[in-house]
Amino acid sequence: MSRPGAVIAALGAAALAAIFLSLSTGPASVSVGQVLDALSGRTAAGTPAETAERIVLSLRLPRALLGCLVGGALSSSGVAFQALLRNPLADPYILGVSAGAAVGALCAALLLPGDAFLPLPLCAFLGAALAASAVFLLARRRSGVSRERLILMGVIVGAFLNALIMLMVALAPPGRIPGAVYWLMGDLGLGTPRRVGILLPYVAAGTAVLFLLSRGLDLMLLGDDAAFQAGLPVEKVKAAAYVTASLLAGSVVAVSGLIGFVGLIVPHGARVLVGAGHRRLVPAAFLMGGTFLILADIAARTVSPSGELPVGAVTALSGAPFFLYLLRRNGGAA
Amino acid sequence: MSAALFSARGIRFRYREREVLAGVDMEMREGEMVVLLGPNGVGKSTLLKIFSGLLSPYSGEVSLLGRPPASYGRREMARLMSVVGQDLPVDFPMAVEEYVALGRFPHQGFFGGRTAEDLAQLERALAMTGLLEMRRRGLGEISAGERQRAAVARAICQGAKVMLLDEPTAFLDIYHRVAFYEVVTRLKEECGVSALVASHDLSLCAEYGERIVLLSAGRVMASGRPEEVLTPGNVRKAYGVEVACDRNPATGAVRVSTLRRK
Repeated sequence: MSRPGAVIAALGAAALAAIFLSLSTGPASVSVGQVLDALSGRTAAGTPAETAERIVLSLRLPRALLGCLVGGALSSSGVAFQALLRNPLADPYILGVSAGAAVGALCAALLLPGDAFLPLPLCAFLGAALAASAVFLLARRRSGVSRERLILMGVIVGAFLNALIMLMVALAPPGRIPGAVYWLMGDLGLGTPRRVGILLPYVAAGTAVLFLLSRGLDLMLLGDDAAFQAGLPVEKVKAAAYVTASLLAGSVVAVSGLIGFVGLIVPHGARVLVGAGHRRLVPAAFLMGGTFLILADIAARTVSPSGELPVGAVTALSGAPFFLYLLRRNGGAA
Repeated sequence: MSAALFSARGIRFRYREREVLAGVDMEMREGEMVVLLGPNGVGKSTLLKIFSGLLSPYSGEVSLLGRPPASYGRREMARLMSVVGQDLPVDFPMAVEEYVALGRFPHQGFFGGRTAEDLAQLERALAMTGLLEMRRRGLGEISAGERQRAAVARAICQGAKVMLLDEPTAFLDIYHRVAFYEVVTRLKEECGVSALVASHDLSLCAEYGERIVLLSAGRVMASGRPEEVLTPGNVRKAYGVEVACDRNPATGAVRVSTLRRK
């Protein structure tokens, strides 16, 4: 196997190990043997082991899978934005896409009656797509879309949407959006089998599209003009990747809130391991992002004796020093 | 006489209010090596972008093998023409050979892998530009001159019949400048490649270029064989410097030497 192939296989093994670790960690003590029994369905009914099985299968497994999907989706989305903008600082947050998704989800929670979970992701996709289109249209000029204008418009639209989020949370009737503050800080506690099932097709399809666009993303690294001259239909690839990356980010915001830093730092880490070619980078970043978020969630659930921390706080706390480490390791070339 | 590869008639182009090209007429024939000279900002890069279909002139006509550049599909165009621009990517840790291999894109399916032909062209391009030894190094780890050679290698790897090169020797030392012109001459002789090179290298152009087109004030000021174009009067008018022009005793090519301002 080639070195990048071996690295991707190792990352896959690491993701599985992280999921397993997540299944055996938590306030209720569940032994490794009980986890294995639960996964293989060998537990007898009416025993204490059945409680352990229920904890593993209906609480911890959906949460671990959700972490994997969310971390993977944010990282793939970050890879695409960084290539599109040829800017190592781009990610769904900087571009206002995540904020758009959050506004969409909050609108659904505030305006729709009752338990509005089902339309929530849909409204978040809409919010992300609207924010992405607004950024794209505002940045567009007759000569095309320049990277600099795109990121500038992303920052402006993002700042505006963040202000909207604060207003909505501050002015919402008491009890209308329970857990909104926690959700805004990023939370994987909403992982239920149903939600994992709703999210899975979006993340799978989005990541697959980015993988299929990988040669186009490679060429985008040359810059718009050189990619055009090398034979790439630049505007089409840009639009397809931009929409896909936005929807990936939007769909995960609906389920897990605003989790920062993953989409920014994981692509850099993955590039150190497998290089900048997207055919290897997209799968590597997905697996690495999934593993990273599961580990961050384990930390968020276990470090504080008084309860859970928001996972977004953990990713930012551990992500910032990791980012500095990467920059130093690469001598500033990351 | 070989057929016209591309021709430009009355090309005008402006960036906002500033008119850069004010009616350029030029023609290039198959298998020709033409050097485009002119002071900074005269519109050499703009003209190359118009030829590659990246920019459209607001008046005038461009035709590539009898058709306007915009009528070609992206891949079809890239199989016909490769371009080395002035900006070189450094932001991402891509290996030299990966970067050079991107030149094969127009010959591959959108999702397809590398064929034996792709690999052969990659090896040839790396060998011609002297990059075999540093093929696995990252673009960020090599010098500006080496990156420029990698950009030329990518264009060679593209295997097009026409190459447009925008100041491809700007960062190169004298050894690699000579090597660049030797490579372009070899491609012309062995594969019938035509090249249009924008440059500031007056003496080297005179040595290797078959024809020189000198741009000044948005128009073609002079066009022809090096000894016809590179005269003290033309150089003074285009660049505003005094030069002496004589013949290189070893090769007989025009030699341009700058004179100190009094």
